[in-house]
Amino acid sequence: MGKKTNFLIMKLILCFFMLFVLSGCLGEREINDLEIVIGMGVDKDESPDNILLTAQVVKEGIAGKSSGGGGGGEDRPFWNVSSKGMTIFEAVRQMTHKTGNRLFISHNQVVIFGNDLAKEGLQKYIDFFLRAHEMRPTAFILVAEDKASAVMDAKPETEKLPAINIGKLVKTYGFTSHFYKVNMKDFASCLMSPTTAPMAPLVSVIENGEDKEIYVSGMAVFKKGKMVGKLNEDEVRGLLWVLGEVKSGVIIVPTPNEQGKAVLEIVKVKSKVTPEIKDGKIMMNIKIKEDSSLSEQTTTENLATIEAFEKIQEATAEVIKQEIMKAFDKSRELNADIFGFGEMLHKKYHKEWKNLEDNWDVIYPTIELNIDVESKIIKTDLLKKPAAPNEGKK
Amino acid sequence: MSIEKGKISSQQLFFLIAGFVEASALLIDFTVGITEQQTWMVILAGLIITTPFVLSYVALAKSFPGMNLVQINDMVYGRFLGKVISLYYIFFFSMTLSFNIRDVGELYITFLMQDTPFIFFLIVFTATCAYAVTKGIEVLARISHLILVTGFFAITSTFILLIDQMDFSNFLPFFELPLIRIFQGIHIVSSIPFGETVVFLMIMGCMNKTEHAVKNTFFGLLIGALSLLFVAVRNTAVLGRTQTIWTSTSFQSIRLINIGTVLTRMDFVIGIAQTILIFFKCSIFLYVLVVAVSQLFGLKSYVPLVLPLAAIEVIIAATVFQSPVDHATITQNAGIIYSVPLVFVFPPLALLIAKIRGLPKVERGKGT
Repeated sequence: MGKKTNFLIMKLILCFFMLFVLSGCLGEREINDLEIVIGMGVDKDESPDNILLTAQVVKEGIAGKSSGGGGGGEDRPFWNVSSKGMTIFEAVRQMTHKTGNRLFISHNQVVIFGNDLAKEGLQKYIDFFLRAHEMRPTAFILVAEDKASAVMDAKPETEKLPAINIGKLVKTYGFTSHFYKVNMKDFASCLMSPTTAPMAPLVSVIENGEDKEIYVSGMAVFKKGKMVGKLNEDEVRGLLWVLGEVKSGVIIVPTPNEQGKAVLEIVKVKSKVTPEIKDGKIMMNIKIKEDSSLSEQTTTENLATIEAFEKIQEATAEVIKQEIMKAFDKSRELNADIFGFGEMLHKKYHKEWKNLEDNWDVIYPTIELNIDVESKIIKTDLLKKPAAPNEGKK
Repeated sequence: MSIEKGKISSQQLFFLIAGFVEASALLIDFTVGITEQQTWMVILAGLIITTPFVLSYVALAKSFPGMNLVQINDMVYGRFLGKVISLYYIFFFSMTLSFNIRDVGELYITFLMQDTPFIFFLIVFTATCAYAVTKGIEVLARISHLILVTGFFAITSTFILLIDQMDFSNFLPFFELPLIRIFQGIHIVSSIPFGETVVFLMIMGCMNKTEHAVKNTFFGLLIGALSLLFVAVRNTAVLGRTQTIWTSTSFQSIRLINIGTVLTRMDFVIGIAQTILIFFKCSIFLYVLVVAVSQLFGLKSYVPLVLPLAAIEVIIAATVFQSPVDHATITQNAGIIYSVPLVFVFPPLALLIAKIRGLPKVERGKGT
């Protein structure tokens, strides 16, 4: 018994001391040694073949971090480090010459590509962001109207860090549905598709005197990895109607007596696209069901009547159709399949698809759309009549 | 008689087989690159094809009660040929074990701890397996249900967390790929996760009662296959077209989990679950290898062989491949070929020969 207990105690002591020996982690990185990157921007450098990478590093404790060296104003809680290289990874490692440590990109929220680079093609630059083990596939991808570094420089008012602010902007696209979020995995998925055109939100800087503001102005359209054009806000919503990704937004239609405007908020959208091949012609049957609420009106006429509703609903459906057609016309002009019609055909008619795939650029502009919109007003919010003199008393 | 004195119940056999098959959840990546969105069909087809073979293992074990594969081979194919076939099996066990140990190492250095030396994981991991094996099959059987539940929890929870990102149109079109690729996929699936259950021929002899063995084996295989199916469906639905490019599809789909920006970075769930599951699988493989070798050489106990064989396995695992690239290439192309006779030919053939020669009865009378 005594021997056994002794042995047990010996074992316990041994285990206890092992705690000290075995706790050592190889490759450990302490929090104050980390250069936490929250956003990255990639631009073309002046010298050909080179890229300019800008990484936004968080300064933990603004006061204690003055040793950064040339990162802008003293009170900024971030530091935009830039470096040059032939490729992204070279530039990332080159950056250690300035930071003294490897970048820690696990918390990276956004990757912004400069306009020049996007036009030249993102295929060769996207690989690092998918391959690097610290990089998350949920990071958002954006294209700057001009220079990515300028976008990362604009200090937001309410948020402390520009990259976090941009991430927030992209995430809340649903209020207007004028652009939509695209993460690394989605972008890669479109890049891998032989027909679907990848897209990314376009972000620009508005200079307002001293202040700089960030603004998302639409979407950049890519074809074969190269940026070929952009969609404006209405066109993007036209696209999103078809994809069923419209979360919310504002639709303005004239009132039945044409004296003012009825303003509707989109509440719920459902869409269904069924491709059809008839006598060699490709037809896309798009069915959209939209629910909205009457959120504002600018006339004294009471719009909360069944007759008025019917007219507004018709007008709404017309607006939606026009938006879709605008988007489709633009995509025909760019000859880029932003809707993913090719993939839809592929999934339904995979035998015919083999012939279509090679000539897709020729076929795509000949596609016909058959749009059927069903619009409903389901509520009028807090008012059932406008605050205006009652017409019935006369 | 058999070298193992421990006894397991046939219910434990169910958990052992289910956990063993489930442990191959990450290995379906070998198929995904070939069969893309049709992986789920390939798994189902593989299950259907393999089931009769696996049931033949049970039938074989039942007709030679209390005996393991090496003894059965000796009896059925004769002393010399039996030994040769047993050696072939031992080669298969040892190679598969080292590949699986290597999987763990690759998992860790690719996804979890990049800077740690590769060999370190192999040694620590194999030492743990060796420890488990010295405790005998009974202990492994007793923990098997915990292991199965852990794996199932990880698979179902990640499935549920990813439901909002699933797009089931990713499974379309249903029949697109050329048949040759589907066949290769079926071959991989039926050899790797399902066919490897041939190791249970070394274990089934330890069963105390063989009454429900067939039923339990079948359901064990089914539950294991279901978990693989869940994984395949989750990965295809979430990743769609991109599923062919990632080093590990499961890891990549789990990295996409993002619920309210709070439930993110769930890689650790699959890291933990997979480590536990592969530990279980490797322990079974190491046990089987050790028992087979000791049986072949007629040792009284297998315990002295555990450490030396574990050390050899570590060395094989560390040196056999240069990178995951040749690991995948060799497994997809060569690995599934040399295991074919072991998985699909010898056991049913042994059953047939035993039936023709009326072996068990005659031999049992002689007894050893």
